[in-house]
Amino acid sequence: MNLLDIRNLSIELDTPNGRVLAVDRVSLSIKEGEVRGLVGESGSGKSLLAQAIIGVLEDKWHVHADRFHWRGIDLLRLTIDERRALLCRDIAMIFQEPMSCLDPTTLIGEQLSEAIDSKQLSGYFWQRKKQRKEAVIKLLHKVGIKKHSQCISSYPHQLTEAICQRVMIAIALAGRPILLIADEPTATMESTNQGQIYRLLANLNQLKNMSILLISHDLENLTHWTSTITVMYSGQFVEAGTTEQIFNKPMHPYTRALVDSSTKANLQLPTKSRLMTLPGSIPILQHLPIGCRLGPRCPRAQQTCVSAPKVSNFHGHKVSCHFPILHESPRKESKKHKAVKHKTVKGNN
Amino acid sequence: MLTFTLRRISLFIFTMLVLTLLSFSLSFLFPGDTVINHSGQINATASELVQLNKAYQMDKSIVDQYGAYLTHILNGDFGQSMASQSPINNEIIELLPATIELSLVALLIAMVVGIPLGFIAAINHNKASDNVILSLAMLGYSIPVFWLGLLAILVFSIGLGWLPSAGQISLLFEIEFVSGIQFIDILLSDSPYKWQAFSNASAHIILPACVIALAPATIFIRLSRAAMIEVLAASYIRAARAKGLSFQQIIFRHAIRNALIKIIRHVGLQFANLVTIAMVTEVIFSWPGIGRWLIESIYQRDYTAIQSGLLVLSCFIFIIHILTDFIYAALNPLARGNQHGS
Repeated sequence: MNLLDIRNLSIELDTPNGRVLAVDRVSLSIKEGEVRGLVGESGSGKSLLAQAIIGVLEDKWHVHADRFHWRGIDLLRLTIDERRALLCRDIAMIFQEPMSCLDPTTLIGEQLSEAIDSKQLSGYFWQRKKQRKEAVIKLLHKVGIKKHSQCISSYPHQLTEAICQRVMIAIALAGRPILLIADEPTATMESTNQGQIYRLLANLNQLKNMSILLISHDLENLTHWTSTITVMYSGQFVEAGTTEQIFNKPMHPYTRALVDSSTKANLQLPTKSRLMTLPGSIPILQHLPIGCRLGPRCPRAQQTCVSAPKVSNFHGHKVSCHFPILHESPRKESKKHKAVKHKTVKGNN
Repeated sequence: MLTFTLRRISLFIFTMLVLTLLSFSLSFLFPGDTVINHSGQINATASELVQLNKAYQMDKSIVDQYGAYLTHILNGDFGQSMASQSPINNEIIELLPATIELSLVALLIAMVVGIPLGFIAAINHNKASDNVILSLAMLGYSIPVFWLGLLAILVFSIGLGWLPSAGQISLLFEIEFVSGIQFIDILLSDSPYKWQAFSNASAHIILPACVIALAPATIFIRLSRAAMIEVLAASYIRAARAKGLSFQQIIFRHAIRNALIKIIRHVGLQFANLVTIAMVTEVIFSWPGIGRWLIESIYQRDYTAIQSGLLVLSCFIFIIHILTDFIYAALNPLARGNQHGS
């Protein structure tokens, strides 16, 4: 069963010039024990989506969804407080720039211990303090911090970014979550620390069967750690499938471009030649193109692209494009896509 | 912490040196003879003048003169008041504690009222209560203090008769002068009417302190509102929400302390403003403080008193400034310890 099932989630922003649709009908589903990657450029709305799931967006953002199920419970039927209580118990989130996500004036130990729910502690109230401290130390050991007493009695600015991120993970683990949302957890770190954090997350996934939603802009790095990947562009759903499908046989021109721009997939390229990139840059929120938002930059765009494409499903490989790049033999595909492919070939000629 | 303290002390010493330089130069700028401005002895005989010239080393270079002036000040000799011909340091010792008492009580009222109101406004940002608090703050800031003081006397003393209109304590009570701060003296005295005196002194201080506190309180409202809005938008508050903490827990455990840190530095700055308001208010409420004395000295062209009064008041303001710096360091772990490159 799907742990999290979101269908057509939209996020709107109130601006002085009316509402802007920042995230346009994105679907996302996460299975139990799965590591799902969420890839997109910065500004593609992936952090927004994550914050909307956990419900920490500010009031100026408005979220709508056709379906929002958590372990079979329809969250749209619950009130905001009930939803928050349910989600905060089961979902934890770690953010980018961990140092700014820790209160600069509170000791690490205090911040950790307040994340521990008092329901987890047994015993009388005079034993609680000691139990809390033991639980904190245990959590720090879990995330690989051995010098726990030093860490407990320091302030965030006295620790490195990587240690802070470990503390954030420890705080997230305190609630014993089923799903961990990691929003670019290594954005400001060196590569050795990046590897450590990703390995820690992978261990947690394997040992505790914790599902992880890993948000990143780095498709190539993400392929090492995820089993399935969802790609977003400028607030729109692009493509979803297993990591192999996305990385080896991308069907959407945008995913194709992402893969082409990574070094690993282009080892055969001669030295000092340029990597393939899409022309232009991601559109700003005030000037979004209609229809498929990739339209103006897309090498395969045609007139049809001014209307938003529907999501089509190829054996679990979902893609939202009028003219997907098809790797399989044409026989297997629907009539519509035959026609589309025919058109594309003509267009290329 | 030791380095922090040493830095503050050295800053204090150098600022005081600059201040004495200023008050020293005032003697030259004021009309009249420099040595008489220094000492305040307007009726000095010829032999006394020779003695004074020698004491202030008027025949030597200006650096020596400054050195002599500094020695006099460090020995606690501010000269005589030109108006009353009594030593100024005695007058200051009698009057300054009353001003300290009044301004500290006013500061306390301003903080206790202003900061929570600002927090409430920030928490209800862009709602009705926010707008009400902000407009009240604007209104309070725009009212001139001398008019407000008279209005307060008119309403609460004459109209309603709740509070006394002038003085520090009723003349009926005889309190021995120990520290000069009325409340401490009352508590130290062994008079049988100690508590009646205490309540009488409290009744006397309420009205002037509230009048002084109004303008700083409105500034504190705006400062704390801005600080709280900034803190509530910070990512550690969002992370705390994602952690599953309730709104009250977030406010009381994380937001207030961080917002206070941003405000506490401004308290020291606002204190100078508050003392200026206190001086005017002392005149209105006949409070026997140094502000009223200073303003009277200005009327009487008592140059020696003006000089020393300015020096003492600015020294007091600066000490409060340093104290707020220490409170800031105690609250903010980032300010403690060695700061390299800053």
